[in-house]
Formats: sequence, structure tokens, C-alpha cells
Amino acid sequence: MSHVEVMTGNRAASTAACLARPEVIAAYPITPQSSVVEDISKAIAVGKLDALISEVESEHSAMSVLEGATLGGVRTFSATSSQGLAFMYEPYFRASTLRLPIVMAIANREMISPQTLWASAQDSLSVRDAGWIQYYVENNQEILDTILQAFRVAEDKRVLLPINICYDGFYLSHMSERVDVPDQSEVDAFLPQCYKPEHIYLDPDRPMAVDPLTNGDLLMEYRQKHLEAQQRALTVIEEVSENFCNLFGRHWDGCVEAYKINYNTKGAIITLGSMTGAAREAIDRLQSEGLSIGLIKIRVVRPFPKTELRELLSGIKAVGVVDRNVCFGWNTGIIYQEVLAAISSSPSIIHQPFIAGLGGEDITIEMFETAARQVVALAQKKDGPRDQETIWLRSVSEEVDE
Amino acid sequence: MNVLDVLDQPDVISPGISACIGCNVELTLRTVMKVLGKNSVLAIPPGCMGGVGVVGWDKKSGAEIPVFFPLLTNTASMLTGLRLAYKRQGRGDIHVVAFAGDGASVDAGFQALSGAAERNDRIIYICYDNEGYMNTGYQRSGSTPKGAWTSTTPYGKLQIKKDMPRIMADHRIPYVSTCSPAYMRDLVEKVEKAKRNEAGFSYLHILNPCVSGWGFPPEESIEIARLSVKTRYFPLYEVVNGKYRITVDVPHSLPVSDYVSRLKKFSRISEPALAEMQELIDQQWQELKALEKVGVKPCSSA
Repeated sequence: MSHVEVMTGNRAASTAACLARPEVIAAYPITPQSSVVEDISKAIAVGKLDALISEVESEHSAMSVLEGATLGGVRTFSATSSQGLAFMYEPYFRASTLRLPIVMAIANREMISPQTLWASAQDSLSVRDAGWIQYYVENNQEILDTILQAFRVAEDKRVLLPINICYDGFYLSHMSERVDVPDQSEVDAFLPQCYKPEHIYLDPDRPMAVDPLTNGDLLMEYRQKHLEAQQRALTVIEEVSENFCNLFGRHWDGCVEAYKINYNTKGAIITLGSMTGAAREAIDRLQSEGLSIGLIKIRVVRPFPKTELRELLSGIKAVGVVDRNVCFGWNTGIIYQEVLAAISSSPSIIHQPFIAGLGGEDITIEMFETAARQVVALAQKKDGPRDQETIWLRSVSEEVDE
Repeated sequence: MNVLDVLDQPDVISPGISACIGCNVELTLRTVMKVLGKNSVLAIPPGCMGGVGVVGWDKKSGAEIPVFFPLLTNTASMLTGLRLAYKRQGRGDIHVVAFAGDGASVDAGFQALSGAAERNDRIIYICYDNEGYMNTGYQRSGSTPKGAWTSTTPYGKLQIKKDMPRIMADHRIPYVSTCSPAYMRDLVEKVEKAKRNEAGFSYLHILNPCVSGWGFPPEESIEIARLSVKTRYFPLYEVVNGKYRITVDVPHSLPVSDYVSRLKKFSRISEPALAEMQELIDQQWQELKALEKVGVKPCSSA
């Protein structure tokens, strides 16, 4: 039987990782992810987790150790944040192009400068084109559940790609919530107990050259197959989400969740991660006022669930995207651009970018109300430009001294 | 194993590797792998041996054993991961081997290498030192000696060579040695010691004179390597569990000018710079003699 514990997001991540029976762990501590590494080290030290851990000197080596171990044929796990992910970039990119099903949690943290420690998905969204699958989750239960799901998706023969489970630093990593923790036997019934590579490995009994110099034509074939695997992952993510729900009774809606949207809804707000909780409150309040506005939470950014999103937005007049990150050069957030690409074939939707919550700033229910009212107003417009200038949602509007 | 027996062992590196005429790195690699045998996994980071095709080309493998390209920067840590995976699987008998140039060891890969040595992971790490980025057009590395021409130090390098084997010995790992393709028996014995080292990290540093980048005739490849030892420019020694031992004694050394004058890369070196190099060589020899008496305290085994 499962049991209930009150735990932080980091504890949810380490608990899930232990339940998934990884055989090799390598991670380097960085705020706000550190307690994930501490918890796993302790679990191994006291014999709660039967695995080997490498106390590496950097994130660059953490990912490199996992690549070596995965090529050796074992299941692996790591966790990082922000600057650590940036330092890891070189082997990070390669984990996906080598098709290694590594699972890594990311406690999202803003990128410097200025010096900062607090939440923003700038770190992981900046590497969204490195070939990994990326989940963004809303609460601590979803962290635990999604890490378990991620191993299944990553090791599925139709996918064979590494996966990030991204959750907001401090908001989730350090906040405690009620979490339903499944039993080991329940997890074992959901997830195969070990990883056995058949596509890429280093084994003297089965010699293979990994990554000989490769010409462009063959490289293009590899890339094409990688892109196809990302697309197949959309289906596998849904399947695994369904299967998880059947076993554990919790449904996280695969790649996208629609909240209070029906065929009549005129406006929609799109969110990512922990901000979704406040957005739900705001939508409830505005709907009770009779405003036609709903919510869409994007759970998977890579692969981007364009078809599902298009269907959800098919009757919508205006959509607002709230980004806790920026897209340099576009003067918007990153998810806004992703949504825009997905709805490019729907010429009638008005779209409004919002930027909020950078560097861990709170995104309040009131801010979501402001955003939602703006979207409702746009939905009532008969004509005018489809794309709007970015609105910055800030609690303090004082100018910084130049 | 006798040196002649080693030469009878199967060559696991594919024939037709396209190294430069007279390249002694290819010879070194083939010999090393004859000693280590087929129950090995070989990491070849970007560098000469990767460039000439030891990892392979397109769909063809460059070796009969599992071989792969780590990044320039992560050879040691990828091997740590492999070692842990094999340990999990009860396959501790597999030799986990790096054959990496000085760029991948002394410069860009140093952090990963130092980390793996500090953790005393059981890896056989072999650095083939040709004193620069010889594969990509002879650029300077941290292992290039002072006064040497490279394509990025057109008037000679201003700084002295990083003393990598001494730095690795100071990690207090169970086995460190320096080797030369001109002293094959010594080299084979040292690779065998690394093969038998189950206590942790083995580091072998081999000075491989580069025909193309240093400027000398291909037929002098081994002779130049021998001169580097006979002038005490590159002393052959080992550090076993902290105990230093010079394995090829050079009681009456030749002046370093005998070595330097044979190499085009030193053609612009000044008299004072040459004198300084001789001074450094003498100093390092004295230090080695002193270390033979004192040693370093080894770490406990992994």
C-alpha cells in the first residue's frame, strides 16, 4: 500500500529516483537542487537504495559519468539547476544524440547575471533544442509521478531519449506538500526493473564502435530518426500517463492539460509549471464573475504538443501566454513563441505575451486576473492586430537607476 | 610478459590506420593494446588517434574491441561511468582504458581527469604527449615546452611545460609512470603493472615525438624519443603506491642541445633559453632523485 508523506519537491524527486531503481547516480550539488543529491547519497549510504554513486567534481562530469554508465548498460539518474546545466551543456547535448535514456531532474533557477538563486525556467528552456524530452510540472506529487513515468518513456524502444523533469526552484524544490508515495512493489509493476540496451552499448563481448567519424549524409539520417523519435514520444507520453493513472489513480493529462475550457470558451491563459496553481484560482474567480476564460497548462515542451494545443484552441478568440523566462531577440517569453508556432495555421486567434516572475518573483493570483481580463478584452475585439506587445506583470514598477 | 611475446599477441587495432609516416603514437597504441588485450574498452578522445580513424570511419570500426570517442573534455569521467556500470554487473575484469593526447589530458580534459584520480576510480589512463595539438595543425598546449615553435606560438612558447606525471603522482594514486616508444620493454612492463593494478587509478604519460609537428625525418622517430630520455629531457620513472623509482637510469646524460638541435620546432631558440632548459632538466633530475628517497604517501585503495 502507498503511504502519505509531507515532503519538499526535492524530496519528492529523490524519493521517485530511489523507487525507479537506478544503478548509477552522479550529481553535483547546486542550489536549489542540492538536497536531491544529499538524499540519494544518504539512501545509498544507509542501504535503502542499492546503487553506486559517483561524487563528481562538476556537472560536466556528472553527465559524462551517466553517459559512460548508460553505455555500460545500466539505468542512471541525476539532478541539476541553472549554471550547472549550462556547464553541463557539452555532454548534455550528446546524451540525446547518443540516444541514451538518462533521466535528470532540474530544479529551475534563473540564469545570471545579475547574481540570483531563484526560480525561472530560463535554464532548461534555453536548452530546449538539445534533443531531450522536457516535462514541466506543477506540484510535488507531479514531480514524483512524472519521474517514474519518465523512465518508462525514456527507455521505450519507440523513444530512447533522455528526459528532464523540470520544477520551479524554491516554489517546489523547498516547499512542502502532501505527497502520496507508492510502494516499491507498485512501482516495480509499472517500471521494468532494469535497463538493457540493444541499440548502443560498450561491451567487450559485443564489440561496437561508438561515434566513429560520420559523414553528413549518415548524420542526417540519425537526426531524422531523432526527430521522429521525439514525435513518437508524444504518443508514448500519453500512453504512459494513462497506464500510470490506471495503476495509481492519478492523471496528469499527458502533454497538455485543459482547465475549465469548453467549446464556448472565448479566452485562454497558457501556463507552465508551478505558476499554474495561482492561475487556476484566478480562472475560478473570473468564471464566477461570468467571464469566458479558461486555462491550458503545457506539461511537455519537448516534443511540443502542437496538435493537441491547436485542438484545444480551435474555438478560442484570444490567448495569453505567461512566461517565467524571456526569449531574447523576440521581446517575449519562450513559450509564447512556441505557442505562436503551433497556432500559425489559425489566423483568427489574437495572442498576448506576458512576462512575469523572473528571478523567483511571485506571480500572484491578482497578476493572473490582470492577464486574464486583458485576454477577455482582446477576445471581444472585432478587428485589430493579432499580435500584441508584451505586458510585464510586476508587483513593483519602480524604474532601476541607470 | 616478455616484449617479444607481446609482439605475438593479436593486434586489436585495425590495419590501414592513416597516421603520418613514422608516427610512433600508432606503434605505441598497437603495443599498449596488445598488452591489455581484448577484454578492454577503449576511449579515444579527439586528437591524432581519433583523427586517423581508430574509432572508425562511417560504419566501419577502427578496432576489434569496443571503442568510442569521448569529448575532448570528459574522457576520464565517461570511463568512471563505465567502470561503475561494470562493477554493478560484476564485470570488474574489464579494462577501462583511455588513450588520450596531451590536449585532452593536460588542458581541456584536466578537470575530469583530476576528479577521477582524486576519487581513485579504477581506470587506465594513458596520455600520449606530442606536446601540442598536433592533429589540428600544431597549436600550443599546456604540454608544449618553453621556446618551442607551434602555429600559435610563432616565436616560441613563453611558458614552461606543465609537469603532468608529477601532478598526477601528487593525487597519490596507486600507479603513475612515464614511458617512451624507444624503450619498449620498459613500456610493456609499465602497461602490465597498470593492467594488474586493482587498487585504483593508473596514469601513464608517454612522450611521443611528432614527425610532422616537431620537424624531423620520419626514420628518426624512435631515435628522437631515445634522445629525449638520454638527455634527461624526459626521464623514465614510475611511482608505485607513492614510491618513486627511475626505471631507466641515465648516469651520464647528453646535453639537451643534442636533442633540441634535431628538432625544427626549436630552430629559433636562443642560447640563454637553451641554457635555462638545461638548468630546468638538471633541477628536475635532482628532484626525482630526492623523490626516490622520500616518495609520497599513497592514498588508501579504492
